[in-house]
Amino acid sequence: MTSDKSDGEQRSEQVFFEDPAVDRLMGVVLALATEHYVLLDRVHVLERRLSAAGLVPDAEAHAAEHADAAALAEALFRPLLGVQQARGAAGRFSLARTARTEENPQ
Amino acid sequence: MTAETSFDSAQRFILAAKGFWTTQLYTNLREQYGERCAAQGVEPTTVPQVAAVAEDLTVYRYFAWLERHLQIAKYSGRYGLAHYYREHADEVLKDLDGAAGQSSNLELDPALRMPSYYVATDIHQHPGGVWSEPTAGLVYQHGARSTTPLLGASHGDLHARFTDKILEGGRPARVLDLACGFGKSTMPFASKLPEASIRGIDLAAPCLKLAASNATKAGLTNVSFAQRDASNPGFADASFDLVTSTMFLHEIPLKVLDRVLDECFRLLEPGGRMVHLDFWHMPDPFTRFLHYGHGRRNNEPYMQPLAELDLPKTLAAKGFVDIRIEPFSETADVDLAAVKAWRFPWTYISARKPA
Repeated sequence: MTSDKSDGEQRSEQVFFEDPAVDRLMGVVLALATEHYVLLDRVHVLERRLSAAGLVPDAEAHAAEHADAAALAEALFRPLLGVQQARGAAGRFSLARTARTEENPQ
Repeated sequence: MTAETSFDSAQRFILAAKGFWTTQLYTNLREQYGERCAAQGVEPTTVPQVAAVAEDLTVYRYFAWLERHLQIAKYSGRYGLAHYYREHADEVLKDLDGAAGQSSNLELDPALRMPSYYVATDIHQHPGGVWSEPTAGLVYQHGARSTTPLLGASHGDLHARFTDKILEGGRPARVLDLACGFGKSTMPFASKLPEASIRGIDLAAPCLKLAASNATKAGLTNVSFAQRDASNPGFADASFDLVTSTMFLHEIPLKVLDRVLDECFRLLEPGGRMVHLDFWHMPDPFTRFLHYGHGRRNNEPYMQPLAELDLPKTLAAKGFVDIRIEPFSETADVDLAAVKAWRFPWTYISARKPA
């Protein structure tokens, strides 16, 4: 099989944020989160085995087959939505521009 | 605890993250886009107009970043599919080559030259593309399981449903599946049409070996695979009464598509049908904007040219008749208007060579 492919060619990664530092840092976060889940999953397997051997109480052993990947993904990425979890002042934080009053405390 | 366990764990997390992207992040993006359109008093109708509103939404940046990087995580890096199958190459290839060596349902052409457009881009962000490594077919097969995460275990339904819809219009006797890959689209024809002869062609030898092996394991004796270029497939005129493809047209430049359509016409007997499953019907400009972005982000540079092509006019100019282009539901009983999660704009593209 033959081709015109030029091996070893390096291309720069796509950039989505105004500062490419954010793109790269997001990559670090995703890699860390993946490693965290891998470890979490191992801990759950160990817990189940320890529980089966009677070395830890059943209550400490996770009932699920795997660590809950969807729950971790939800917890990890929920901040990306930028939605308040409890109602209060919204938007970009600054004390410089808006004079707050008792009638308009936000 | 083995490395394989870590691989499975990591892949499970990446898929779960894609699930979040498909549902919550997408829904949030659509809401924020709608709110910003309302605030600006605009109703974009073109992709550049949508882009002017959407591209600096913070949530869009995250949506775009995750679309690209979750795919990178799936394929590359120490938990990626490419690495996993390289590490296990001896074991998985022994099985594959053994099956391929015994089967008469596979014709490879080591002298076939890979087209320059095909090797210039690693489609789907699959390192080395679907053709260059012996394990590429296995990587592709594994990766395709989670292309549409919401389909989950019913992903196979897509191909079966597409086949069923074609068979509603008659049962062909000689079928050609273009760019069949590892045979996922070909197999339903072989099993649903036991009396028919099914041929699958593709450029990628590693995928074809897997297709042949899968067919042998499934006990399907009416299907065979060959390494051929769909733009120059080499069969005699009027060799087939159905020429089909699944997710192929958007992977080729328009000049190649032009040749492929000519070949479809030539290979069909009079009255024969050509049916493709691809992405084309996108009446909503925001869906179109995301689709063009998906093409860029997922290394599929010909998605946008296909979506912008006047397909009915193109097919009519080639001489095809009974041209039908309509949205296609990937699962049963889905109300497309009610789907809140991200989905591909699946499109059923059917035409007939005049009798």
